[in-house]
Amino acid sequence: MRKVAIVGAGLTKFVRRALETPKELSFEATKTALDSCGLSLDDIDCVAHGSAPDAFDGIHQKGEYLADGCGGWNKPTMRVYVGGATGVHAVVHGWHHVASGMFDICLVVCEEKMSNAMPHAQGFFLTIFDAITERALHPNLLWIFALEMNRYMERYGYTKEDMALAAVNNKRNGLLHPSSQFKDEITVEDVLNSETMAYPVSRLDVSPVSDGAAAVVLAAEPVARRLTDKPVWIEGVGWTLDTAYWATRDLYYPRYLDKAARMAYEMAGIREPDKQINIAEPYDPFDYKALHHMEGLQLSPRGKTVELLRDGHFARDGNLPMCPSGGLLGVGNPIAAAGVMKICELFWQLRGEAGERQVPGDPRLGVAQAWGDLMQVSSVVVTGI
Amino acid sequence: MGILEKITRNVDNRYWDPGVGAFPVKNRYTAGVAGQRFFEKIKEDGNIIGTRCEACEITYVPARLYCERCFKRLEEKDWVDVGTEGIIHSFTVVHKTLEGETKEKPTLLAAIQFADGMLIHRMGECKEEEVYIGMKVTAHFKAKPKRKGGINDIDYFKPL
Repeated sequence: MRKVAIVGAGLTKFVRRALETPKELSFEATKTALDSCGLSLDDIDCVAHGSAPDAFDGIHQKGEYLADGCGGWNKPTMRVYVGGATGVHAVVHGWHHVASGMFDICLVVCEEKMSNAMPHAQGFFLTIFDAITERALHPNLLWIFALEMNRYMERYGYTKEDMALAAVNNKRNGLLHPSSQFKDEITVEDVLNSETMAYPVSRLDVSPVSDGAAAVVLAAEPVARRLTDKPVWIEGVGWTLDTAYWATRDLYYPRYLDKAARMAYEMAGIREPDKQINIAEPYDPFDYKALHHMEGLQLSPRGKTVELLRDGHFARDGNLPMCPSGGLLGVGNPIAAAGVMKICELFWQLRGEAGERQVPGDPRLGVAQAWGDLMQVSSVVVTGI
Repeated sequence: MGILEKITRNVDNRYWDPGVGAFPVKNRYTAGVAGQRFFEKIKEDGNIIGTRCEACEITYVPARLYCERCFKRLEEKDWVDVGTEGIIHSFTVVHKTLEGETKEKPTLLAAIQFADGMLIHRMGECKEEEVYIGMKVTAHFKAKPKRKGGINDIDYFKPL
């Protein structure tokens, strides 16, 4: 397999409701990514794009619908969809296209427009559950995350205050991100005092509903070296499906991620991820998930994560910064685009181009992760310089 | 016995009623940056506009924000008036409803070329036997107070 590098990145602002159509959002991110590495559409060999359920944009077969906004006119295009894991998975998908030798330059684009759904996108999540045994109870994602959060807290004796610390960390980081849809810092008290959605989940434990798009340009080694003197290499990729029944596993530990992470680290030649990785972008649609996923990523010993967080280990200037972008909690959560946003962050951080958000100490290795489907799929990308 | 049971009409199939049968959400779309302007023009002026990429020599109708071929952002100077007259590129006559019933009055649908793009729309003031590929047609707009900024602000197209 050939070595593959990220050579360009682009992001729209993440907003609550965009005037732009899903195609137009995709165009903005794609154009920015192309401009960032001085390429035109003629230079692109193929497009690997991703977007979460069709229902969000309100257009079935939205892979085809989005294609021209992703630069897919008259090119081989292929869409992946693994729910929330789509963003990082789309980069794995694009990596295959280039690593295989089939294409030299591949555009990876993800988009989501959540605001079309009225009254709320959560309504569409009802339809991802088993039609006979679960849907009759009207479950939504807040429900099942609440069950998982409760189990996770109970297992290690964590409190809601502990979980809120992750929200505060990520949202504070996100204030420095130009694409963030937030402008105010929050405190642990704010999280605890926000309204209960489904106990133990309160409103500020959760990432927002967002519209947005993100794109990266991938290139094979010799091409990447011609295009930039600072390629960011994809060192490892991994993805796993846990059981297809969301409720038949122990909810306290993300086993779906355990294997995906080990797969990516093995490919990257990483033996001690907690010591070798400099930046982590765990998937954080909820505050507890950031911590849960740090454990699944083998970046924190199980049950010790809150202690490390309290000690500043995961702060921007800590030993292992967690979500320096701000993550989904701090930047926003246009589902598939949020995963690529994390890859964009690794790209900028490893190149030393993250501006105010720059992690000190010349980081060399980063990991990004996303999680989706009905809670059982994870995808992982390790990048390095 | 599952698929071994010979059922030829799907209404004869037994089923479990889980108590939920429909998506409990609706979509409320935006027309987009280019679409907003395109439909405002139809609503306010009863006219059709497109965007032109000079480099690729293509005029998009409905108007688009970008050229899909070269990814140029189409800007203020790229907006062009294409008028309300087009040419039928192809047509069909719809006889059945979605439920499979025969329509009392068939619907005449046409793909109407404007510059390098097309609008799909109904034909009116035109009999089935009169329509032909290559026919020149013009837009018949709803009265201005009834226009809402959508494709149905054009009631139908009719022979020129």
